[in-house]
Amino acid sequence: MPSHSAQSIEIYTIEFPDPYKISYHNDKFITLPANASFQLPITENIQTLSNKDVQKGSDPYGILYVPDLTSDGCKKEEEQYVANNVTRRANLPEHIEYALVAVAPWYSAECMNEYFEAARDAPVKAFLVYQPGAAAGMPPPVSDSSWLMGDGGTWKAQNTFPTYAIVPPTGALIMKGLSEYSGNITDLPYNETLVDMFADTDYVRLWATIGTESGSQLPSLWVFLVIVLGLLILAIVGTSSFMHLMQRRRRNDLQRRVINGEVDLEALGVKRLTVPQEYLDKLPLYVYTSSMEDPEKALPTEPPQAHSNTPTGRRLSAPDLPQPVSSTALSQPTCAICLDDFVANESRVRELPCRHIFHPDCIDTFLLSNSSLCPMCKTSVLPSGYCPTKITNNMVRRERMITRMNRNAADRAHTAHPAPPQTADSQAPLSPRRTSSGFGSIGSRIGGAFNGSRRVFSAPDRTSNRPSEIEMGSNQPAAALSPVPETTPPNQQTTTTDPTNPTAAHPHRREWARQRALALLGTHHVAPADEEESCEPRWKRGLRKIFPGFR
Amino acid sequence: MSTGAKKRIMKEYAECAADTPAGMKIIFDEQNMTKWEVLLDGPDQSIYAGGHFKLEITFPNEYPFKPPVVSFKTKIYHPNVSNDDKGSMCLGLLRPDEWKPPNKVVSVLRLIQTLLIEPDIDDSIEPSIANEYKENRKEFDKNAKDWVKRYAK
Ligand SMILES: [Zn+2]
Ligand SMILES: [Zn+2]
Repeated sequence: MPSHSAQSIEIYTIEFPDPYKISYHNDKFITLPANASFQLPITENIQTLSNKDVQKGSDPYGILYVPDLTSDGCKKEEEQYVANNVTRRANLPEHIEYALVAVAPWYSAECMNEYFEAARDAPVKAFLVYQPGAAAGMPPPVSDSSWLMGDGGTWKAQNTFPTYAIVPPTGALIMKGLSEYSGNITDLPYNETLVDMFADTDYVRLWATIGTESGSQLPSLWVFLVIVLGLLILAIVGTSSFMHLMQRRRRNDLQRRVINGEVDLEALGVKRLTVPQEYLDKLPLYVYTSSMEDPEKALPTEPPQAHSNTPTGRRLSAPDLPQPVSSTALSQPTCAICLDDFVANESRVRELPCRHIFHPDCIDTFLLSNSSLCPMCKTSVLPSGYCPTKITNNMVRRERMITRMNRNAADRAHTAHPAPPQTADSQAPLSPRRTSSGFGSIGSRIGGAFNGSRRVFSAPDRTSNRPSEIEMGSNQPAAALSPVPETTPPNQQTTTTDPTNPTAAHPHRREWARQRALALLGTHHVAPADEEESCEPRWKRGLRKIFPGFR
Repeated sequence: MSTGAKKRIMKEYAECAADTPAGMKIIFDEQNMTKWEVLLDGPDQSIYAGGHFKLEITFPNEYPFKPPVVSFKTKIYHPNVSNDDKGSMCLGLLRPDEWKPPNKVVSVLRLIQTLLIEPDIDDSIEPSIANEYKENRKEFDKNAKDWVKRYAK
């Protein structure tokens, strides 16, 4: 449907004492009641022929009249359709801007042209036409040959008003109304009530308002859309606040679990943490002594709890304090970071809670600015329950995601094949694949490669486990799932006897590898927290602001 | 990069230079010590025998806390090397979560040599090549040898 097409035309009778007081903008008239005057609502069969100059937001309206013809021939022909006492321009005051709506029968193109010409000279807001004798129902569209004026359609452009076609009976009805209501109160039919109400000299005219799509009334479709939109916004706001509430509960819950020591944010890969200086200062710092010596006789040391505020130098010169250094710590002759050997009675070493020792120069900066985990065993240096940062929605999301992935991986691995069966002869050739190549497994090869660096761990109880220890990271699902610190030497022994260890011969190596892959999924497919956030599309981040639980 | 990291790289290079594993040559630029160029011969017992591969080892600023990054500059048909112009590898101890500071570049290089002899199918970066290795070993060998002829002579 073209825009600005007419939906309805309302015709009613108005009464006003002084025509000079009516203007476009100040309509000083009274609408006469329906039972005592002419009223005609037209709601169907209105064909919009031209919507020229229909202003957005304002419906055309004005006093109905019939424009004057110029040629005698047309005037003669007009008599068949138009009574001689209809409202004409002469019945309306001059030199004042009226709003007018013209109405005329379209009986010939030539005469129609005369009507349009006359209408262009008057303040006409709209033109209603009808074709006398045409078929009932919707008037033909403007493309129909019956609307041709012989000017190629330029009349539409020349006119300064829109043109609407109505059905012939309605047109005739309007013409009849115009002949009856174009004088004073006394000229009216059924005038008894009106005569009492109004002065005899008051004018009575017909008035037309054309309702177009752009009219001031809001079409029902728009009302519907506005309601739908309102409901949608309401639903979004409701969901959003619900999710915000949920997320706050989850944040509090995560914080509680972190404080209770159930969750380690960094070990889980949720958030990279660093160690504040005050915690670092609490970690034991002492002078390295050779592992060959009896730990009891080892030289200057001090307990971890004693040195929160004492400067390093003084701490080191406090030999009378009790001995906290374990043999495990002393059994590491090399700093794993710089690969330099510790010099007995000379090198200062920092011992982490997992008992790994490093040069303070090597480890301190790392802990202060990179990570809170021991670079060797990934055990947190921070005391359990330490909740350093504000728990954010993103951390909650990652924690949930990682826990879920780990749980799924564990479930699958468990239901698929709890553990590959162990053959009786554990010294049997490894998997067929390995033997065929005549080479050890990659894991053991790497382990072999590490024999060169074995001096890192010279403790006798570790040497035997050396290859499998290296494999822990790459080959053992259990290690990938829960970062079990390798701090306690007894645990180390289980590594070699672990039934899931691939070095034990079994025909299900492939299945075992699949489980391993699933188990590793939990850690590998989660990008480190810092990297993930930056590569996320902006819209997703925005959406998360509104719906914080959104994944 | 911290002086500690530089010291460590120097130390590792000195060790490598003193005892370079067979079949490799390390090109070290003291001006840019965080990028090593390695010329690796295809191991004799592998299908890559006769090929010469150029590798690049890049040390991150956080080295040795983070693993070095290995990339094949010479194209190679291998399940564990990405089949693009990066030629990147990401498995075993090269993974950030499996890397530990005491690991050394030389062990990384040995791992690569081992992988040329026997790929790690379960941890492949190119699943289609891994699949071919498993299902159609003949075709894989042919392709790998073709690539050696084409790119690694
Ligand atoms: Zn050190
Ligand atoms: Zn540790």
